[in-house]
Amino acid sequence: MSDAMAHIVDDDEAIRDSLSWLFRSRGVHAQAWPSAEAFLAGYSDEMRGCIVLDIRMDGMSGVELFDHLLARGCGLPVIFLTGHGDVPLAVAALKKGAFDFVEKPFNDNDLVDRVIEAIRREDERRRQRESEATVTARVAQLTSRERQVMERILTGKYNKEIADELDIAMRTVEVHRARIFEKMGVKSAVELAQLLAHAR
Amino acid sequence: MPSLLPPDPLESRGPAGAHSWHWYAPRVAIGLFVTALLGLLWLLHRQDVEENRASLIRDILWVEQNVRFSLDRDLEQLAQLGQEISEPGLGLRQFELRAQHLLSNGPGLLRIVLLDERGALRASAPVSGTSSAGGKLWVRQGGEPAYRLACGSGRSTYAPAYASFGDTEFEVFVPYYRAGRLAGTVVGIYGIKSILAGLVPWWLAEKHRVTVRDAGGNVLAAKSNVEAGQPELTHQVVLDPPGYGLLLHVESYGSKTKLLRNVLAAVIVTLAAAVMWNLRALRRHIQRRLVTEHALRAEHAFRKAMEDSLVTGMRAVDLDGCIVYVNPAFCKMVGYSAAELIGRRAPQQYWPPEEREYIEASLHAAREADAPRMGIELKLMRRNGEQFDALLYEAPLIDAEGRQAGWMGSVLDITERKRARELARQQEEKLAATARLVTMGEMASTIAHELNQPLSAIASYTAGCLNVLEAGETPKNELEAALHKMAQQTQRAGRIVRRVYEFVRKSEPTKISVRINAVVEEAVGFVEGEARKRRVKIRSQLSPDDPELHADRLMLQQVLLNLVRNGMDAMEAAPSENREILITTARADASVTVGVVDRGCGLSPEVQERLFEPFFTTKPEGMGMGLNICRSIVEFHRGRLWVEPNPGGGTVFAFSLPVERTPHPHPPPQGGREARTA
Repeated sequence: MSDAMAHIVDDDEAIRDSLSWLFRSRGVHAQAWPSAEAFLAGYSDEMRGCIVLDIRMDGMSGVELFDHLLARGCGLPVIFLTGHGDVPLAVAALKKGAFDFVEKPFNDNDLVDRVIEAIRREDERRRQRESEATVTARVAQLTSRERQVMERILTGKYNKEIADELDIAMRTVEVHRARIFEKMGVKSAVELAQLLAHAR
Repeated sequence: MPSLLPPDPLESRGPAGAHSWHWYAPRVAIGLFVTALLGLLWLLHRQDVEENRASLIRDILWVEQNVRFSLDRDLEQLAQLGQEISEPGLGLRQFELRAQHLLSNGPGLLRIVLLDERGALRASAPVSGTSSAGGKLWVRQGGEPAYRLACGSGRSTYAPAYASFGDTEFEVFVPYYRAGRLAGTVVGIYGIKSILAGLVPWWLAEKHRVTVRDAGGNVLAAKSNVEAGQPELTHQVVLDPPGYGLLLHVESYGSKTKLLRNVLAAVIVTLAAAVMWNLRALRRHIQRRLVTEHALRAEHAFRKAMEDSLVTGMRAVDLDGCIVYVNPAFCKMVGYSAAELIGRRAPQQYWPPEEREYIEASLHAAREADAPRMGIELKLMRRNGEQFDALLYEAPLIDAEGRQAGWMGSVLDITERKRARELARQQEEKLAATARLVTMGEMASTIAHELNQPLSAIASYTAGCLNVLEAGETPKNELEAALHKMAQQTQRAGRIVRRVYEFVRKSEPTKISVRINAVVEEAVGFVEGEARKRRVKIRSQLSPDDPELHADRLMLQQVLLNLVRNGMDAMEAAPSENREILITTARADASVTVGVVDRGCGLSPEVQERLFEPFFTTKPEGMGMGLNICRSIVEFHRGRLWVEPNPGGGTVFAFSLPVERTPHPHPPPQGGREARTA
């Protein structure tokens, strides 16, 4: 699994190089891509961090690349670099879910700040997505009876009520409860509720 | 078209025939008049005839009486003669004397014969050759009964007439007695012709033919001074004595007055006939006139219909400019009725006051003898004050005698057309301006992007370096590499800027020898059409000293066109008398100064301050490059462009250019704001 880094996509060598230098000077790993096509070719779902994307490039433009990435379900935040006349394009991209845009010539440390922020956000989201995946996996381990019991626990019902509703013995409900807590990795009903609410 | 004309002149007899009683009345009147007149004449004639008859009868009775009196008197005298003869002592001699006397006094008495008691001739007067032979009875056979009767009764008796030597004669036997017994008879012999000659007076003979006829109607004697012919009136009475069927017959002939009257009647009838003929001729004439009139009316109606349906306005003026005719389309166009327009002199009420001078000049030019017959564009005004563009074609109006009576103008309202044209032009201009802006924007954007790349890179390197320096303990070679790259990017930016310059330099002007007055005249020629459209007069005041310049003719013209257009823009709202641009050229030492003087709104100090700033403009569609370009061109020619207020209102833009021989520019004039900024 690769580390979080800033992927710089720009057709101008000087910009790629100078931005790499700038990011490195603030301790942000950077990888430069000379064109949108090159980036698409090298793109993998494993990538982490953010994408700094020049909106105007020879060949595939930044916006087109962004569309491709969205189509492939890429969740990486994208920061657009725009020239003076490209603001409307950038705004349209923001509406589609881009993280931010920065106008050239930019205040460089601000750009770095935005990149760091984007990377942090991406990391957070990834982690949350991972926890959601865990909860889903745990719920998948429950038997159908256990799931029925869990639903009723989440609605705040007592063991006795659950036993009556499902027409099982009180004792059996208690066994199910213990098994659910064990499988979901929680110690109390409150914790279970928090876990599921967070994952949902 | 033919269906609109009168179909057939003959058909128009219909309406004329309907009023034919108009024509019968005078005819009947004339007929009645003539009849009455003829009746009157006839009556007069009848009266005349009656009168004539009466007078004829009177006359004949008078004649008859006269004859009777004469005969009676003769009878008495003959009886007296017989008495005297019977006296003793009186011889035949005495008888002869007395008989002579009687013959000469008694008209018609031809002879007097004295018979003895046995009827033999005793004496005769005048003395006849035949004397009594032996007591033989002298009396002729036809007269014997009368003689016997006279002798028997002792009374004088007339004998029947008889013919004798071309005359008709008769005798009267007058017996005389002595001592109670027949002593003899005195016979008077009368000639009827002589009686008529002696007893019918001349005045009667003037009028009538008097004849004596026997019972068989044979004329025995006649007296007349009038020519014989068909008698008009006749009358006869019995001539008694002598009787025996003798008739006194009178015939009357027409008098001269009657002839006159007949002539008069003939004249009247002739005149009446003439009147009738005239009437008929008049009627035919009027009918012809009616047909013509009808045709004329139809023609007139057709023309009027044509005229009314015309969309083009027509108006005619006489030679004094007084309106004599307008058609409905014209009235509709200007909003005045024909009555309000006709008779009006220039300036017309539909001339906008501010256009008056221009309209008068245009009309004058169009009415020149050799003026080309093309439309002139005018601005006219409707009654409600709304102005509209009109296209006027003026042509001479020639009357029937071939003389010019005035001017005929056809007027078209071209406001809509012109507006559409103007709109199209404006849109085109806007499009062109937009295209220019887009091109310029594209270029600027490209340059900006190009420059942004190295500048962004430099900024990033700089920030990175600063970050690294701040953090400390950085290998020197890393910093060096970054600074080196920065230097490279700086050079890259410099190259971009140079490339732009080179691009601009490509349109190198071509300088040749030109004369400034020619340049000004050409530029005025270019802009004149536009100026006319915008109602601006362009006047030039050119220096007689016209030196040669070393310059790009097209570029200088570009400057002049720009300045003149600016002037016209400035005068958009100016009153028409002020809408004038003056272009001056003046030679001063080593330079020529060209001035473009407008009388427009002038420049506010703020505007004047920013006048030469690029992209500064006061016009909604301006780019703010015009004056900049002008200044660049003038400076390229080593001259200056400046602006100063016009003392009479408005602005003066002026530029000076060095004359060919002198390479050094002329110092700027006093009071002018220097346009050079470099």
